[in-house]
Amino acid sequence: MKCVRCLEDTATKVANAPDGSGAWEMYGCSRCSFTWRSTEEEHVINPEKRDPYFQLDGVNIDDLLVLVPVPPLKK
Amino acid sequence: MYRDLREFLTKLEEEGQLVHIHDEILPEPDIRSISRAAGDIPNGPAVMMDNIKGYKGMRVVMNVHGSWANHALMLGMDKNAIPKAQFFELLDKWKKYPGEVRFVDKAPCQEVVVTENINLFEMLPIFRINEYDGGCFFSKASIVSQDPDDPDNPDKENVGTYRLQVQGKDIIGMQALAFHDISKQLAKAEAENKPLPVAIALGVDPVLTFMASTPIFYDQSEYKFAAALNGIPQELTKAMTSNLNIPANAEYVIEGEIIPRQRYAEGPFGEFPGSYSGVRRQVRIKVKTITHRKDPIFENLYIGRPWTEIDYLLALNTCVPLYQQLKEQMPEVQAVNAIYQHGLTAIIATANRFGGYAKSVAFRLASTPHGISYCKNIILVDADVDPFNLTEVMWAISTRVRADKDVIVIPNTPGMPLDPSSDPPGMGNKLIIDATSPTPPDSVLREIRMVDKIKGSEAYEKVIADLQKAIGR
Repeated sequence: MKCVRCLEDTATKVANAPDGSGAWEMYGCSRCSFTWRSTEEEHVINPEKRDPYFQLDGVNIDDLLVLVPVPPLKK
Repeated sequence: MYRDLREFLTKLEEEGQLVHIHDEILPEPDIRSISRAAGDIPNGPAVMMDNIKGYKGMRVVMNVHGSWANHALMLGMDKNAIPKAQFFELLDKWKKYPGEVRFVDKAPCQEVVVTENINLFEMLPIFRINEYDGGCFFSKASIVSQDPDDPDNPDKENVGTYRLQVQGKDIIGMQALAFHDISKQLAKAEAENKPLPVAIALGVDPVLTFMASTPIFYDQSEYKFAAALNGIPQELTKAMTSNLNIPANAEYVIEGEIIPRQRYAEGPFGEFPGSYSGVRRQVRIKVKTITHRKDPIFENLYIGRPWTEIDYLLALNTCVPLYQQLKEQMPEVQAVNAIYQHGLTAIIATANRFGGYAKSVAFRLASTPHGISYCKNIILVDADVDPFNLTEVMWAISTRVRADKDVIVIPNTPGMPLDPSSDPPGMGNKLIIDATSPTPPDSVLREIRMVDKIKGSEAYEKVIADLQKAIGR
């Protein structure tokens, strides 16, 4: 399914409410690591209503800044 | 004092500093709203929630450190102790380092062991802390790791608080910045393409949580510091999947390994300066085992627009090491208040040994390991001014500062990357405001005489407070 943040088809269901109540489901994106719960507010989980500042559509994950670089391999 | 989180919660309850919410609430936005409110109330309490929709039977506690009253109780003081008194109490306890560690069998944190079908989203009542966070974060975890080159050295075993984002059923993203201790260990493991074992302890005794967010030296042990501050041995046990020593009485311990040489999208996260961090590529932890106590309590904290619970965990533990490092060679320093955003702003009370000396104290602060990146606004006040009392500090600034000689900006110095005014992230300026009285050979512009403090007024404070209490205030 589509991720609500990066809009790629890389999200799946990751959990159901553990008490068996069916109160909510959770989803996660394997590409941008975003997760969300079905009961959250519209401006958090609806791509149309999310603040564009926080969207990642069109962003190449590999281009994101790496804060702690991978060190060279020891020979 | 407190062997575990539960003993501290009992104390908080006795002192009226823990409340329970039994009404049904949603994970979002209710836990966020409740925690924000608890932190905004003067001397607000910890809040236990036990009726979370979809997570019936699980418990979350928030704001455990979230007031000066709770902080005082953590230090074993009266809940009304003022911050300056808490600073000196912490300083006294600090000198008792190193405390003792003790290994226990059948540790409570391993009462229940889960090795299969791990699903963090279902096993813990997690929630999105701020609405634009990238997911559900552990904001109050104590993460244990060892030096790959010296794994049996207990003093180099690190216990640190780094933000953790639950990214998959058994996957956790972690932000460790280059200057964090765990990054040194990670660099060694990654250079050999080896995973770094980690244990994530949730819900530990309040002093260990406090020490996990304290900047101490690499070869100083957080466990031994916690024991010194707590006045009782720190109880540890061996992790189930590694050589790590873990807090025996934690509510949950998540064991896993940092995947070497890979970086994945992480964030954003509403951070301690009150702004969101960006989305960056950070490391991931692959979870192998989760152990927990029976009927565990999930402890987390609200962090966002200051002042929040995180500020108490970055407050006096920021001040004390800075104070000690200054005091070593500058005995004129009386107290350091660096409670503002981990010391981005710091106020130092100091005597002037000679003209201009206070500015040298500022330079010293700016060259301490923590001060290099963090302490950017440095205010100096006279030795008899309480740097924790902002009314006194503003009085000092109002009546001592002549901007042409007392205000200095040093451009293009190191900065703190999470500070939104640091541009490019990691660069900054140092602002020094010298609000001390001039001392020769500096020119003393006008002779003045101070109005003395009134001796004997302190005794009347109690009398008047008791009278006020008697009329029902």
